Amino acid sequence: MVDFSIILAGFGDVFTPFNLLFVVFGVVLGQFVGAVPGIGPVMAMAIAIPFTFGLDPLPAIAFLVGVNKGGLVGGAVPAILMNTPGTPDAAATAMDGYPLTQQGKPLKATKMALFSSITGDTFSDIVLITVAAPLAVLALKMGPVEIVALMIFAFSIISGLMGESLIKGVIAAALGLMISFIGTDPEHFTPRLIFGFWDLFDGLALPSVAIGMLAISEILRRMAEGRGTEGQGILVPDTGNPEDRRVSWVEYWACRYTMLRGATIGTILGALPGIGSTAAAFISYAMTKAASKEQESFGKGNLHGIAATESANSAVVGANMIPLLTLGIPGSVTAALIISAFMIHGMQPGPLLFQNQGRLVYGLFGAMIMANFINLWVGQAGLRLWVKVVSAPKAVIFSSALLLCFVGVSMATNGLFGVTVMLIFAVFGLLMHSFGYSMVIFIIAFFLGPQFEKSLSQAIALLNGNLLNIYTSPVAVALLVLSGVSVFWFLSKRTNEEADTTNLGVPDGETLDQKNP
Amino acid sequence: MSNMTDRISGAFFLVFGLAMFFLVIPEYVEDPQGGNLSPKTMPNIVAWVLAICGGFLALRPTNHAAPDARFFLKTTAYVAILGGAIYAMSLVGFLYVAPVLALVLMLMIGERRPLWLGVGVVLMPAAIWFLVTQLLERALPG
Amino acid sequence: MKFTSTLKAVGTAALIAFGAPVAAQDWEPNGPVTIEIGFGAGGSTDTMGRVLAEVMKEQTGWNVIVENRPGGGGVAMFTSLSQRPVDNQTIGMGVGIPVLVQLVQRGDELPFDIDSFDYLGTIAKAELALVASADAPFDTLEEMIAYAEEQGDMPLATMAPPQVLMMNATTKASGVDFNLVTADGGAEVIRLILGGQVLAGFASGEHFPYLESGDMKVIASANQSRLSYAPETQTFIESGVDAYVDAVFFLAMKAGTDPSATAAIAAAIDEAVQSPEIAEIVRNAVQGDPINMGPDGARLMMVDGLENAERLFAN
Repeated sequence: MVDFSIILAGFGDVFTPFNLLFVVFGVVLGQFVGAVPGIGPVMAMAIAIPFTFGLDPLPAIAFLVGVNKGGLVGGAVPAILMNTPGTPDAAATAMDGYPLTQQGKPLKATKMALFSSITGDTFSDIVLITVAAPLAVLALKMGPVEIVALMIFAFSIISGLMGESLIKGVIAAALGLMISFIGTDPEHFTPRLIFGFWDLFDGLALPSVAIGMLAISEILRRMAEGRGTEGQGILVPDTGNPEDRRVSWVEYWACRYTMLRGATIGTILGALPGIGSTAAAFISYAMTKAASKEQESFGKGNLHGIAATESANSAVVGANMIPLLTLGIPGSVTAALIISAFMIHGMQPGPLLFQNQGRLVYGLFGAMIMANFINLWVGQAGLRLWVKVVSAPKAVIFSSALLLCFVGVSMATNGLFGVTVMLIFAVFGLLMHSFGYSMVIFIIAFFLGPQFEKSLSQAIALLNGNLLNIYTSPVAVALLVLSGVSVFWFLSKRTNEEADTTNLGVPDGETLDQKNP
Repeated sequence: MSNMTDRISGAFFLVFGLAMFFLVIPEYVEDPQGGNLSPKTMPNIVAWVLAICGGFLALRPTNHAAPDARFFLKTTAYVAILGGAIYAMSLVGFLYVAPVLALVLMLMIGERRPLWLGVGVVLMPAAIWFLVTQLLERALPG
Repeated sequence: MKFTSTLKAVGTAALIAFGAPVAAQDWEPNGPVTIEIGFGAGGSTDTMGRVLAEVMKEQTGWNVIVENRPGGGGVAMFTSLSQRPVDNQTIGMGVGIPVLVQLVQRGDELPFDIDSFDYLGTIAKAELALVASADAPFDTLEEMIAYAEEQGDMPLATMAPPQVLMMNATTKASGVDFNLVTADGGAEVIRLILGGQVLAGFASGEHFPYLESGDMKVIASANQSRLSYAPETQTFIESGVDAYVDAVFFLAMKAGTDPSATAAIAAAIDEAVQSPEIAEIVRNAVQGDPINMGPDGARLMMVDGLENAERLFAN
């Protein structure tokens, strides 16, 4: 165990003005870059790493932690204010966040996102600081067999979001999987479905697909809609009621179980490899909706919807540090970037990190906690600024957002090929929306597909080529039973509801756009 | 017929799934010796899921109705402009294309006030140029 | 940018006109120089590439950026590098052997061969080891094979096709089958070993902290020679399996790049590899010293490597 004086010294190190300044820098940069449409949190991290080369380890890592956490808060902003999420997890936030904006309550929605994001983040940071080591050992026991079962469970929970038509939900998921198979296959590394385009050998880049389908297609649809609103901004005028500009303590407190559930889901999934924040956000959303007494208000601006997704996807980030610090194993792209940064600054994540560099690790923990406070503080001011920015005329907003998406995707995916893919998927998204297929389910399947196939191949090897040997893993069996139960439960609920709905076949959370149903 | 939309998309996925299974996957996916999971297995399963669900949807459609033709025409126009812009960027670079693209888009949306047009055409591309090439030291697309 | 390059061209022309010597160092990139890494973020190749970029940036004043293009042990990156037009400022960084094995096995399907690139130099040599959890019931390759025979189905993690082929060679030599689990890189191999899902696996540096902490042990060297950090451990060859892989981290550009560009970049790489920063990161990542074989040495390494790969891994 690390000596208590080292823990104190580590925490103390953060409170030098110099180090705190870098946390503030990081948070501001992260919130700003993360909120720009088309750029987003992962890109913010990749951009930030080279800036730290000249720094000492603690300010460097404190800065990156700030960027990471600021980016998470920023990522929710375009999703809520413009319904143009840049990442799949932000798409979950948009489901209830954007309706609130349409009701003239943009500040209430973004503030709820900020508060629940920081709540989830703080929760997982505390778990990290107190019980990282035992949790990491537990997470190691989740091998490929259990991961396959866990992903099946995730899919079964998400099926609760399928909306009115189960068949169309399944088609959207299957299509997402099919598209995710493009590129190298995970076991033999052969090229698959690339049709001679060797640029596709690494698979379709997530930023191209996600930004194309979620953000560009939304912008295109809104541009093609309605005339006569030329000069107006895209924001509905403020309701004028100060209640709608803030989140009251009562409203926050009412979401405490939702946030606790979200934070727990996020922490568990974050400690495991490969599943990540997207699944956490949607599982938390689906479970919150299922547990709610007012299910029909979800997708129409329910604060619980925002609280569920933001607390879960932010909790993943703190929990990602659990396998990262204790075992040197990254759980996500951002975590992998952080490992590179650690090694560059002479930190070797792994079993000896706490022994050899305890003071630095506790300095990092201190920086994480401070970053949460600073995030809250900077966020309050930053959100007002963003709400001001998007109150510009819609022509300016849309054309600028398109330019930014072009640039952001080009940076993230190595040039115009990625931008072309983005445009293709924007068309694809428009068609799917027009014909009533859920883009969100498509994206989740696309995102989880490669990990699922890889884990499946590993699981087959570990089960001696016979999936029926799965009975040797009690955890996997339990998860599969749970999956069966939840699918059955969602299906039985569906038949009860079907009697009294006008069956439009539009997916949940995407029902609001009734002007062009 | 209000349920034509689903019949069309259902039939599309039926044909798409079958075409993937019988034509595309055999041609464009390799089948290496040995190993645990062939690169073909998952695509084949998913192709059948698509075909079966598509067929089912064509038989039992929901009441979903697609937007009218005017919506599609307008989005097609915007997509054509964006596609043209990507091609133009590959020739002359982002810096020359961005202001023109912004101007065309803003005029199509209906903005006529010179001040705001100026913001979109001059200020934004300049800000992006500054952010990307000067602050982040990355290359603009093109 | 167009304008400045015109200016530079005018300037260069003026220099030539006035008879000043035009050394290779006079070449300047037009925009950022990109190092594309054929592996994901967080691994040893990635870390070395990022430090290399930073040192080059400091020493030359060029803007050097890093991008990850993982897939197929570097094949994805080299494939796409070979398919794009020459731009004089995109560098690929990868490891020799996985590329060579793919060339041997599916050379006619890949759109490149070793002549598709101009080689710039090397940065280090990785030592590939077969490692196992400290409490595994075997200490050498022979003991492991005997244990696998007794168990019937021993799971073992690999992270690239060459390692699969090494294990196939092992099976051929001993008649014992292994359950091969394909992992997504060294970090995942380590996780599978620590989690007890596999008993052994290949690693090229990710296991060092666990050797130090006593959680893991080295079973065999997968290189031609023994490992520098575990000289008493035998190689596969010494244990009766006639196969090895030697992994050298190298840098290359698309063939047909402006010779003054390759000369300038190769010189910049050479200068960077001699810096203390690179020495430190190479020691952290592969426990060895930086090695730059230079453009000709890197090319020779690939040509010789291809011959070796043909001998060992031809179907």
